[in-house]
Amino acid sequence: MIRRLMLSAIFVTAGVLPFAASAADTIKIGFPMPLSGPAAVYGVPVTKGAEIAVAEINANGGVLGRKLEILSRDSKANADEAVRVARELVLKDNVDFLSGTLTSAEAPAVSTIAKENKIVFVAPVAKSTQLTAPANLHPYIFRISSNTDIEGRSGASIMAKWTDVKRVATIAPDYAYGRDGAGAFVARMKKLRPDIEIVDQQWPKLGQSDFTAFITAQMGAKPDAVYCDVFGGDFVTLAKQAAPLGYFKAIANRLVDGGEVGAVDEAQALGADYPYGIWSDAYDPVIWPVGEPPEHKKFVEQLKTGMKSEYGSGWAIQGYSAIVAIADGIKKAGSTDSDKVSKALLGLTFDTPVGKRTINATTHETESGEFWGQMVKDDHYPFATIKDPKYYDATVYGN
Amino acid sequence: MALLFGQFVGGLTTAMFLFLIASGLSLVFGVMRVLNFAHGSFYMVGAYLAWQVVQWLAPMAGSFWVAALAAALGVALLGGLAERFLLRHLYGREELYQLLFTYALVLILGDVAKAIWGTQQLSVSRPAILDGGVDLLGTTLPFYNLFIVLLGPAIAIAVWLGLTRTPVGRMVRAAALDREMLGALGANVGAIYTGMFMLSSFLAGLSGALVTPIESIVPGMDVEIIVEAFIVVVIGGMGSFWGTFLGSVIYGQVLSFGILVFPSFSIFSVFALMAVILIVRPWGLLGRPIR
Repeated sequence: MIRRLMLSAIFVTAGVLPFAASAADTIKIGFPMPLSGPAAVYGVPVTKGAEIAVAEINANGGVLGRKLEILSRDSKANADEAVRVARELVLKDNVDFLSGTLTSAEAPAVSTIAKENKIVFVAPVAKSTQLTAPANLHPYIFRISSNTDIEGRSGASIMAKWTDVKRVATIAPDYAYGRDGAGAFVARMKKLRPDIEIVDQQWPKLGQSDFTAFITAQMGAKPDAVYCDVFGGDFVTLAKQAAPLGYFKAIANRLVDGGEVGAVDEAQALGADYPYGIWSDAYDPVIWPVGEPPEHKKFVEQLKTGMKSEYGSGWAIQGYSAIVAIADGIKKAGSTDSDKVSKALLGLTFDTPVGKRTINATTHETESGEFWGQMVKDDHYPFATIKDPKYYDATVYGN
Repeated sequence: MALLFGQFVGGLTTAMFLFLIASGLSLVFGVMRVLNFAHGSFYMVGAYLAWQVVQWLAPMAGSFWVAALAAALGVALLGGLAERFLLRHLYGREELYQLLFTYALVLILGDVAKAIWGTQQLSVSRPAILDGGVDLLGTTLPFYNLFIVLLGPAIAIAVWLGLTRTPVGRMVRAAALDREMLGALGANVGAIYTGMFMLSSFLAGLSGALVTPIESIVPGMDVEIIVEAFIVVVIGGMGSFWGTFLGSVIYGQVLSFGILVFPSFSIFSVFALMAVILIVRPWGLLGRPIR
């Protein structure tokens, strides 16, 4: 009798315990990101931004009484690898949500995993409009970043104001992001300024190590101004090779770059070699001399400590925002059930250190513009900073 | 006209940078029959070392040149150690083992560089003495590019003279032809191999250091460059030193004028060229058919 009681007690506890444990368990968010190879330059700070958000939310008691946990994986900036780790995160680690991915190759691939498994996926960085195009849209995919349309159109609206510019050239990396971005720029530019002629378009590959021939060919077409989507380390290379060839001088530094080279990351890498005077954008200006929101100041301080870096990164905000969106979605839904959260995310407005952002209920895209401005010398820093970063609102420039 | 000249010089710059890197790869394959995948990693380590030394010496005049030399010597030492203590044990075995070993080096050096220097892109400014440029035929020729365009052939000629006109060079060529016979005649083949591997690593480290003023230093630059280096070695003929030189020049010009003619297919033209050459001459332009 006693034995039987004990046995049933064990069964009961065994049956109840996992349930009790899961209630107090963490809410797991799978986060595939390039943590090796050239793309790690961004993958690492974006992941760091996400970790800061998680630490902050957990310090305030978590969500629905449960703590958040990030499961960070290396996607190697490769669609196949991103799919492999995402599948493993869903099937083996039983994550509740997916976020992460950097490139416009990885994100659409992981989106299919999210659709298959009916699990919410919030893409923090990928910009190609393809990710949320009607043919690819499903209830579980959401995007935090701006997209190539908003970016190209913002760039066009800046250049359209330069009335003496008649001949325009573009240079952009030869894959989805560059083709879509330059395409959006050209389409908008033709509308805003029908008098302008597109005289040259160059398509170097992503990771191009020698831009010389592209630059001299472009200079041969004699443009007055250039729209550029070359970003990151590639932009550092481009700038260093173009300057001595007289490229920036030939266009009087009238270059608009939509590839976030206004971020402190590239400015710091180039130092005094930065082509001062060009216009560019950033997810987060990081260095914000006038009108910096207090939440932003706090975020950047945490970022500098977290990254053990003197100046932080303009990319971390994307990881941070993705986690905040997921956490607010869970709160609004009152559940971690993906179907409920996916509904809660529609039309959700959430706070980020750079201002409020709203997820559009039809497109699943965050109405997220970027900060644009001219890159100038600031005596407080040994590198270029964005002068008076201005927010180009997605609802205005995206349409 | 000015445009064509500009494209030509641009292509030549591309070519000579590529040759600096590919020359070491070609040498090691020609003499030792080792396909060194890690050559790009040595190049990357050279770039990081150069950046590091420039940081240490920062305000000093000429710090870049000291850094370039230090980086090249440092990488030569690294290559020498890798050959003497690791690669040497694999000579008698199947080529697959050497391939796997050099590939393992790629992964190890990639992670080590990431652990030491992080993932942020780094950059080195052009040395002050070569900062400007000269206008010629309507095109600006940066002094630094001119320096590389001259350095490429200089290194090619120096290596060629070394191989053909010196007793050591004669030994090296003998080692390439028949290693066992040379050993039987009493020559220290091991030392020759280590020396060649160090020379090749030196060239990799030097080119890595010299590329820093015009390129960003990022993780992954190792893999990026090794593909291009392999292309020119294959076009020129595996193991043919002048073939590599010719391959580089052709690669540079095809890329440069391909951009002018078909801007939308710039990269394609280079691969099309490689395919055509390999169909017509599977052993490369100056290579010899393998019997």
